[in-house]
Amino acid sequence: MTAGRRLTPYLLIAIPATFLLAFFVIPSVVLLSMSVVETEDTIPTGNLTLDNYGLLLSTRLYLNAIKRSFIVGVASGAIVVLLAYPLAYFLVRTTSRWKNLLIALSLAPLLASVIVRTYGWWVVLNREGAINVALRSLGIIDQPLVMLPSTLAIIIGLAHALLPYGVLTIMASLNGLNPSLERAAMSLGAGRLRTFLAVTLPLSAPGIAGGFLLTFAIAMSAYATPAILGGPATEVMATMIRRFMLELLEWSLGSAMGAILLASCMALLLLTSALGNRRSAS
Amino acid sequence: MTRKAISRRGILRATTGALAAPYVIPALAADTLVVNGYGAEFQEFMMRTTIEPFEKKFGVKVTYDNTGMASQNYAKIRASRGAPGFDVAAELTPAEVILGQKEKLLEEITEAQVPNLKYVWAKSRTIIPPYGVVHGYQYLSLLWNKNRLERPESWANYWQPGAAYGDKIKGHLVAFEPANLLAVYALIMAAKLKGGGVENMQPAWDLLAAQKPWIGMSLLASDAAAPYFENDQVWLAPFWSARAGYYVGRNYPVAFTIPKEGTIGLANCACVPIGAANKKLAFEFINFRLEPDIQRAFHQAYRTSPGRPDLGDWPPEYAATQITTEAKLASVEFPDSAFIGSKRSEWTRKWQEVMSG
Repeated sequence: MTAGRRLTPYLLIAIPATFLLAFFVIPSVVLLSMSVVETEDTIPTGNLTLDNYGLLLSTRLYLNAIKRSFIVGVASGAIVVLLAYPLAYFLVRTTSRWKNLLIALSLAPLLASVIVRTYGWWVVLNREGAINVALRSLGIIDQPLVMLPSTLAIIIGLAHALLPYGVLTIMASLNGLNPSLERAAMSLGAGRLRTFLAVTLPLSAPGIAGGFLLTFAIAMSAYATPAILGGPATEVMATMIRRFMLELLEWSLGSAMGAILLASCMALLLLTSALGNRRSAS
Repeated sequence: MTRKAISRRGILRATTGALAAPYVIPALAADTLVVNGYGAEFQEFMMRTTIEPFEKKFGVKVTYDNTGMASQNYAKIRASRGAPGFDVAAELTPAEVILGQKEKLLEEITEAQVPNLKYVWAKSRTIIPPYGVVHGYQYLSLLWNKNRLERPESWANYWQPGAAYGDKIKGHLVAFEPANLLAVYALIMAAKLKGGGVENMQPAWDLLAAQKPWIGMSLLASDAAAPYFENDQVWLAPFWSARAGYYVGRNYPVAFTIPKEGTIGLANCACVPIGAANKKLAFEFINFRLEPDIQRAFHQAYRTSPGRPDLGDWPPEYAATQITTEAKLASVEFPDSAFIGSKRSEWTRKWQEVMSG
């Protein structure tokens, strides 16, 4: 084996590793170091302190934003999985000659900006929006329903925006499933439902977990949708970070909130990975 | 089909070009100025009344960067250690100028660099340190929908809307977030209504808590409220006089007023970051902005008040709503921006607590 060939795998790893180092590791280190710097009138003093974390974790306002981010992440992930699974199942199993077109259509929302899609929801849900106008013109309500800003609106907007990610992940899992296993179950007398519950669903669990994890992580750190469909009473970590960094110039607090967000997503990844390993071992 | 090979010489040439780029770009920048300011209608007036005449007079090219509010643009200056990519921060507020002085991120500006500095209002030199130039003023006003409401005589009309207008105004009030200085000023007026002030903001929080059920939407930027005023969705809000005047001029169903308790003024400041690529032209631009003709053209177009007191003969309809004399300037309050800056985080947190409670 020549030296060049021996080096090739390292070179191939070096490119993404350098990218990760430059655009993830170094910024994360800067973020973490900034989060433990004391500030005076928004100007960093250079002294080290954990007060920023103390303030964020002891103030109800910030704790609520952290909790709300988790709720938004979990709820969006669950809705996406629930909606994406049947769609992915249909797309994988259909023998229609339009299959490719249907797959393209189901992923088409990705072609539109998330801002545009979110403003679509704003148009539907706002005080003078489509739902209120329809309900009022039908005489069902006198006063408009207040649907914005709300955590529910954020969850709806994110679930809609992230649905294609769930479909893609679950489709990949279902595509890798050996159909003869299902046929075997049915030939042994299991009905369609039993086959699905005992064979298909457990075997596609990694896709479900992957879809949930992906949408959870994106939803939890999403900024645009909570900023458009939320308000001061529905702040999440991402909107708080922006407020700290760009509006209040409180970079240490913003960095500490960023570190909490990063740690939360990492913790979930590690937990899922650990559960996956345990499942593989058993 | 011919196949084009990537030669070593080609790679070398491309690499040399890439490495040389940072040295070539400043060389090109000698006759290019990057000015950062607001977007929307502000940009339109700025281009027409100031930037185009500047380009013509000096034979240079101005690139206009319309991103960000004042605090966001200062964040860019801080993040880049004074080299944010623009040469003139054309629209900062006193709070950012004070921060810029403390953090040594803005150039000191003297009459040697900006000769027209000698003509600015004496008050301007007390509002900000000499690291910026006040090129104009505006003030906090109350903007209301003429078709829906009677003229608000007091700040209490906004802070206690039920008492002033009854149930009809429920859901038609706009609250601005304290990241926008106009929200901070409106809160100060609320505190004053009940005997408080910048030293005692508790009355403002009490009024905000009581006002909350009446608020239809809370917004960050004032221009975001424009479509809702236009389509009748919101009826009353604190607003900067300049933008309010613009909407009146555009025949929106609105009018603006200074309530009987008075108002707070905002000094619009221009600064030069320490790492600006073209400082000489940046100072020239700030000086040009204070020229009488440019002042007249811009401030009449955008409905802001001039940055110098020696420009007489204003049209009566303009003078009626603007700070054009020393007496008018004296009637407007300018709270200590350094103190407000030191309290802003705490007040924002309190505002969020009240709004989310």
